[in-house]
Amino acid sequence: MLLALMKKELLALSRDIHGMGALFIMPMVFIIVMSMALKDVYTPATKSLAYAVVNQDQGKTATQLVERWAKEAGAAQPLPEKWQDEVRSGRLKYVLLVEAGFSKVMDDLGSQGEAKARLLTEPGLDNSVFETRRMRLLAIAAQLRVEGLLARLPRKLNVNASALTGDAPVAAERMAQGPRPTAVQQNVPAWLVFGMFFVVASIAGLFVEERACGALARLRSLGARPWQLIVSKICPYLAVNGVQAALMLAVGVWLMPWIGGEGLSLQGVHWGALLLMLLAISLAAVSLALAVACLVSTHAQAATLGPILNVLMAALGGVMVPLFVMPPVMQKIAAYSPMNWGLEGLLNVLLRSGDVASVLPQAGRLAGFAMLMLMIAFGLFRRRV
Amino acid sequence: MLAIRKLSFRYPTANVAALDDVSFEAQRGEVLGLLGPNGAGKTTLIAHLTGLLPIQHGDITLDQQPLGAARARQPTRIAVAPQEYAFYPSLSVAENLACFAGAGSLSGHAKKSRIAECLAFAQLERYATVRADRLSGGLKRRLNLAIALLHRPELLLFDEPTVGVDPQSRAFLLEAIQQLAQDGCAVIYTSHYMEEVEAIADRVVILDQGRVLRQGVLSELLATGATQLQLAVEGDALERLQTLLSPFGDVAPQGAGVQLTLASRRDFAAVIAALDAAGLVVSHARFGHADLEQLFMSLTHHSLRD
Repeated sequence: MLLALMKKELLALSRDIHGMGALFIMPMVFIIVMSMALKDVYTPATKSLAYAVVNQDQGKTATQLVERWAKEAGAAQPLPEKWQDEVRSGRLKYVLLVEAGFSKVMDDLGSQGEAKARLLTEPGLDNSVFETRRMRLLAIAAQLRVEGLLARLPRKLNVNASALTGDAPVAAERMAQGPRPTAVQQNVPAWLVFGMFFVVASIAGLFVEERACGALARLRSLGARPWQLIVSKICPYLAVNGVQAALMLAVGVWLMPWIGGEGLSLQGVHWGALLLMLLAISLAAVSLALAVACLVSTHAQAATLGPILNVLMAALGGVMVPLFVMPPVMQKIAAYSPMNWGLEGLLNVLLRSGDVASVLPQAGRLAGFAMLMLMIAFGLFRRRV
Repeated sequence: MLAIRKLSFRYPTANVAALDDVSFEAQRGEVLGLLGPNGAGKTTLIAHLTGLLPIQHGDITLDQQPLGAARARQPTRIAVAPQEYAFYPSLSVAENLACFAGAGSLSGHAKKSRIAECLAFAQLERYATVRADRLSGGLKRRLNLAIALLHRPELLLFDEPTVGVDPQSRAFLLEAIQQLAQDGCAVIYTSHYMEEVEAIADRVVILDQGRVLRQGVLSELLATGATQLQLAVEGDALERLQTLLSPFGDVAPQGAGVQLTLASRRDFAAVIAALDAAGLVVSHARFGHADLEQLFMSLTHHSLRD
């Protein structure tokens, strides 16, 4: 009996073009679009930012500043005539403005007052990029000033000023793979979780249809028990979620590099932990879908309630806006979203090489959520069918 | 085969009972017409028989076994062809049949051959691969019928099986249902089309507001209305006609004529003789077999229902 009912679910789903699109195409498109669109937000490419230089000071120090800036940030663009408009519109990311008198101020160790070298950036420049650029300007200026100072000190100090331009004995590096993902590392698991939870629309739609037309009552009259009807819906959609997962990971691993994005690496991934997380997410998604399906009465309700729930959980859970950019209050709220449990678990596996033990908290929460939703679904099912 | 005794049911939020002390039987080899206006309790009764509602009061037995026990042992003994198209529109005819065959635990060769038999019985072979939502109304009704027959049920419930079909499909369905009864099934047939019930039912149960108003062999029920004579005469003689007929029974105006309920069937000849003697020319007369619609309307008092 179960096999016949499962086959029916899969056949009905395969004929539902919109449902298939929502389950397979939509998350795939999201992964591609969001990964490409937000590539620079996750890993800002400071060297490739288009900039120009306005050098109003012809002194030696000003020239040195411009040269060293170009060494770090790449060659400057030719200065447009209306460069202020170009910066305001974002076509130029910033302009390095060296005002007249910069070299003099730099050479005069006692001088204070108004800045003579400025970075004028476009309004939408990422804060972290803005700060990085500002700090680099300060660092180069400080270095030039120290060099100037040393050049004027007696030679007996025996300090080689050129040593200051070499590599400083400091470094910054991530511990293996850090908690902050790249665009692909964030977007593949995020939209995979989102897509897996989208089974709610398909399950609820078919459920409303078969209840309204009497097919469900007919199945009951043939002896199908409520638990059999519920299990017959769970199993096919677990398989659907499995296919979704394989497809989305494949997009991250193979398709993204092929179209010019970053690739998702599965090297060193703990497969047991990954499968456990996918199973837990799938159970939570299908159970929620069944609860919603048993709750709604009409197609209109099914078509709105499911997606609304999904979008809310995604917005709160770090799918649409990554957790690490949320303020602490929102991060606390995110911790109540099942999508966040799923996403954090997957990030743990894909980003931090987490094993089964490390994802047990997230998998456990998802399993508990699934149990609760199944109980609600079962209770509603018995009352309404 | 099926015996319903003193069955009563009230929905949790309802003020009045949906079924109130309902009793009747359905036998193998006969078609039982179940009639009632909207809200009479037919759907509630069918939901009991298909196991979707629990029995609150009274009992239902199938071959002397409680319905619950009989259904637990073999739920497919009773099948229903509901008023709705109770199948999956996105699945083909054959896929729908396979789904419901499998749901009733048919498998392997038995499943395959039974699907073929049901397709043949409903004359749906040509449409086996067509999606159900692309079938005409008549074909959908035939698919509903074919699904109901999959498990060789002993009791078949047809709930308005001919709604929205053309005359050819209606005739086909009625013949098929009669054939099933002749083959030994017990058939319960509900419809608002009285002429259909009159055409195929052996016995009739008339329900209204949850109660059985009348039940019995169809011909006997209709014979109870056989003392009614409808008459109209030529010319403007309605008052004269009423006066003339009043000694023979109750006279009530009806359209352009009157309806006379005779005290005895034997008075019919005397009425005609009296009319002739009075020089009245009969323009319309109807006497003898009442039809089911008249009986139904007189029992349910014509009032509109929700």
